[in-house]
Amino acid sequence: MSNMTETSNTTDTTTTLTERNERKNELPRNAAEVTTTATRRRKPLIVVRSMWSHTEGRFALIVMAVWLAVSLISLIWTPYSLLATDGYHVWAKPSAAHILGTDGTGADVLSWLMAGSRTNLLIVILTIACAAAFGLLLVAAMVSRHSALAGASVVAVDALISIPTVLLALILAVPLGASIMVIVVACGFGYGLNLARVARPQALLAARSAYVEAALWSGASSLRVFVGHVLPNIMPVMLVQLSLSAGTAVLAESGLTYLGIGVPSGVPSWGHSLATSVKFINVYPLTVLWPGLIVTVVVIALNLLGDALGDAADPLANTQLRVVSKRAGTNPAGDKGSAA
Amino acid sequence: MSEHTGAYDNTDATTTSASTDASLESRAKTPQRGPKRWLWVIIAAIVVIGIVIALAITGRKGSDTNTASTNNADSTVTIGLKLAPTNLDIRNTAGSAIDQILIGNVYEGLVARDENNQVVPAIAKSWEHSADGLTYTFHLNENMTFSNGDKLTAEDVAWSINQLIKNQYHDADSLNMVKSVAADDDANTVTITLNTANSNLLWTLTGRPGLVFDKDAKYDAKTEAIGSGPYTVAKFVANDSITLKANANYWGSHKAKTATIIVRYLADDNAAVNALKSGDVQVLAPITENLAEPFTADSAHYTVKAGDDTDKYVLAFNNAGEKTSDKRVRQAIRYAINHKELIASRGGSDKALGGPIPSLDPGYEDLTNLYPYDLDKAKALMAQAGYSEDKPLQLSLTYANIYGTELGDQLRSQLQKIGIDLKVNVVEFSTWLQDVYTNKDYDLSLVDHNESHDFYQWADPTYYYGYDNKDVQDLYAKAIAATSDEERDQLLAQAAKVVSEDAPADWLFNYRVTTAWVKGVNGFPVNLNQTLLPLYNVTYTKQ
Amino acid sequence: MRFVIRRLALFAVALFGISLVVFVALRILPGDVASIMAGLNSPPERVAALREQLGLNRSLPAQYADWVSALCHGDFGTSVLTGRSVGAQVGARAQVTFPLITLGLLIAMALGIPLGCAAALARKPAVRAAFHVVAIIGGSVPALWGGLLMILLFSRGSGLIAVFPSQGFPQAGWSDPGAAMMSLILPACTVGIIVGAGLMRYTRAALAQTAQSDAVAMAMACGMTRTQAILRVGLRLATAQLVSVIGLTFAEMITGVMVIENLFALPGIGAGLITDVGNRDLIAVQSELFMLAAFFLAIGLIVDLLHRVLDPRLQSAGDNAEVNA
Repeated sequence: MSNMTETSNTTDTTTTLTERNERKNELPRNAAEVTTTATRRRKPLIVVRSMWSHTEGRFALIVMAVWLAVSLISLIWTPYSLLATDGYHVWAKPSAAHILGTDGTGADVLSWLMAGSRTNLLIVILTIACAAAFGLLLVAAMVSRHSALAGASVVAVDALISIPTVLLALILAVPLGASIMVIVVACGFGYGLNLARVARPQALLAARSAYVEAALWSGASSLRVFVGHVLPNIMPVMLVQLSLSAGTAVLAESGLTYLGIGVPSGVPSWGHSLATSVKFINVYPLTVLWPGLIVTVVVIALNLLGDALGDAADPLANTQLRVVSKRAGTNPAGDKGSAA
Repeated sequence: MSEHTGAYDNTDATTTSASTDASLESRAKTPQRGPKRWLWVIIAAIVVIGIVIALAITGRKGSDTNTASTNNADSTVTIGLKLAPTNLDIRNTAGSAIDQILIGNVYEGLVARDENNQVVPAIAKSWEHSADGLTYTFHLNENMTFSNGDKLTAEDVAWSINQLIKNQYHDADSLNMVKSVAADDDANTVTITLNTANSNLLWTLTGRPGLVFDKDAKYDAKTEAIGSGPYTVAKFVANDSITLKANANYWGSHKAKTATIIVRYLADDNAAVNALKSGDVQVLAPITENLAEPFTADSAHYTVKAGDDTDKYVLAFNNAGEKTSDKRVRQAIRYAINHKELIASRGGSDKALGGPIPSLDPGYEDLTNLYPYDLDKAKALMAQAGYSEDKPLQLSLTYANIYGTELGDQLRSQLQKIGIDLKVNVVEFSTWLQDVYTNKDYDLSLVDHNESHDFYQWADPTYYYGYDNKDVQDLYAKAIAATSDEERDQLLAQAAKVVSEDAPADWLFNYRVTTAWVKGVNGFPVNLNQTLLPLYNVTYTKQ
Repeated sequence: MRFVIRRLALFAVALFGISLVVFVALRILPGDVASIMAGLNSPPERVAALREQLGLNRSLPAQYADWVSALCHGDFGTSVLTGRSVGAQVGARAQVTFPLITLGLLIAMALGIPLGCAAALARKPAVRAAFHVVAIIGGSVPALWGGLLMILLFSRGSGLIAVFPSQGFPQAGWSDPGAAMMSLILPACTVGIIVGAGLMRYTRAALAQTAQSDAVAMAMACGMTRTQAILRVGLRLATAQLVSVIGLTFAEMITGVMVIENLFALPGIGAGLITDVGNRDLIAVQSELFMLAAFFLAIGLIVDLLHRVLDPRLQSAGDNAEVNA
């Protein structure tokens, strides 16, 4: 048995026990609630602050902020209207009028990229939500104590994971046409399966541990066991996996749009800008540089964000978080720290 | 950074606090064999990659010398085309890619057409028709053979056409007026009798309906082809390539000048341009005009030429549709489209086209002045129809993805100025066929109608345009029944003008195919080469 | 053993399920091969005649039964359009795709695993960070863009260093192994770098995890250096995870490779499938999908079994589950 999992299980169990005891006996009800809400409010702040203190985390946060800001700005302003085409000045080189040049219809590349950022933001958010919900559902089913359900879901995951995202998207694109929903559903589905599969070994170990047995013996519901014991165990894996998925979703957008089954024509997106310039890379290689560069930088940032988040939100790694937790009375890793 | 160190402090703490129990020690040592195996795997992987790369580099040298030797011999020309045939079954499968590669090269028709779209002799060396235009007599060449050695006789000709009609092969409907086809082997003639006169008959016979097949040959028409042309199909890889070899049994005057012609289908424009640049192909047809710039600039090594063609980019309006049945809306759209700008953005060699008949077809007349670019007029018409920029008209444009997204974006931008909110759906061709062509469920549609002599589309109210004008139908019927070409051309021109005035569609431009080849290539057809590509004259001398 | 048998039984059931799903899903597609064959300007009667001739008018259950019974005999059907057997067609395409994927995966492993180990072993924060950034950048490049950069840098025709053929697969195929291999190098490198970066992250993460385990701690306590302990003990513990990841990666590469195949104009499985779907060549598409799904189901099965064999912890957990069941 791995000591990693065992230790974290111990801490989890003690945490819940302490919390329950404190609420019941030691502190007046109100006071307890005040401290926990305060902790809840302060935790994200601390996480962000500790992310900020890393160069990588800072880079990720800045890129995310710029992405968000550009998406918002593009709603009210872009240098040119998206519909402003100029057939006499197609594939123009960067100039004062068009900072990043123009595309094959003579439209301003910068404006399209700015507007594209909001489409991509939307796609990423929807995809991640889809993947997380679907993935957790599957994990819960796979580690379920109903062996028929568990067996069936394991096979279902194994079977479905063999269907590549692109194929699923190809089939989905038939009734839906090229659409954002194709990307969201295909990717959400695929990444959910991946999440489930990657998280399964850990979840299984946690779900079959002596501590869960104990919790079940003491009458905890299976939902409670899942949320209280299994979820914390797969949380780090999940965060990393979801952040990777967010990045992959941006990448998938460009791929699927290139294949003509992603973002529909006329809707700005980075993949759209990339795909339209691909055909002319021999003659106008510069145009293909920008969307590719943006996608790369954003995906890097999303990956770094996941790492930083994983580190900063993990009480084992983040001492500051431990201090706060201790002060607030909820002590996730304090035991381990003091023991060491 | 402090958090990180914290984490590792933790690890170290665990490490130091770990027990040194003897039994645990032995357990810890046992897995030593494992990691070594892993290292071996990694090393093996690296070695394999090393070998692969070494192989590849040596292999490349070999392949380079190979191509060099074949090029010096001038016995092979490699041609890059774009749209690939999925099979070779010219009697059953639609698609101009099959016509392009097989007609005139592998199969020959009773008659053929030249680069100006005029009918010229092929299997038949001459022909005449009766004054009423109901009987055509074709005199065939002597001593003709198929590539398998079989004799080509009048019997084969009549059989081929009769089979087409009997089995309703592709394009059989264009011979609806044929009453009978009879062969006279002794006189070496074929006689076609019609129910009604048809001025299009000869031209029709230059295409698939006139092709002559070997009555006695048995072969899989999807992957093989046996005809009487200067070339035979040596190898066919669906969607990828065709290798043509000179037909040793060829009977006629179009003897192949190059022994082997390899046709590669390069669907990706970039791949195509790179193939020409790197010498993998010697000719590229078509080349996207915007991509031809480097070749145009390098005139010492390349020739770039645009040829005339019958490709009409038709922006069809659903004349039976709810919103587009309003003539004012259709006219407004025609006034609002800036054709010059569209053509300029594509490189500038396409030709403006104001009506349904392109310059290489009978009945052509310049109609571009009927609907000049005029935003004010367009806006006024839209206002009459009850729309404005504040109260825009919602329309959708559905077209197949093979035409790229640019045209849709440009049209959306141009029509927005007159208060049309255009939603562009770029779909697969099969979806377009289903939704637009078959079910007629669309507002606007964009297709490159590359067929020649296709005016009948405007005289058929059941065609997907839904255009129904009795005058046009009458004029067309008269033109078809005409017995002289002049009469036919004049009637067609009249009909075309009526059609254009009615604005059932807008003709964005007449696409002219740009072809590029390296210096040393001769005899490659430039006109009409996307539907008609006789290759017998092509030669290549490496410079 | 019971587990293996049950797993195999479920594998068979899943295969059947997939055949059904694939069959039904494809019948929803609008448009059919008959109208594609008939093309523009053909009267509806001609389309109807073709449909009759191709057997598209038969009832769906009959079509399904025919297909499945043929599948059971190892016959994947004949493409309506190309007239070739689907098996042969896929075989020809696999000759492009599988070498591409294998080469890509080998490059990925050669890059990813050693670099991942090095990253896990590095002690200086600056070095660790550098490895980390390398891994992340490699994994963040869109395949399409990475391929384009490769073309711009190394291809004959438009590259700065004109070495490799830019796009397309040689006419002669593998009968000219040198040229064939050359045409796969740029796409395989593109795939390999991207996948390798992911593999590097997984290797590092898995090793970092095991580095904190008792086993490594013990190994160090027994006198191994940290490097030795991680490479000898940690890597062994991480093997199970890595094998899963590589297996899954292999499956995922079909997806990634579709874009690459299109970009590099390689006549592979992915590019072919897109063409076939576009042509509504359903007999070909359904068999191709089925083959792919079966292939990856098998990979999933193997990965799962290997995982069990390689990870003693899971083995016992699995046994417990069996007992509980």
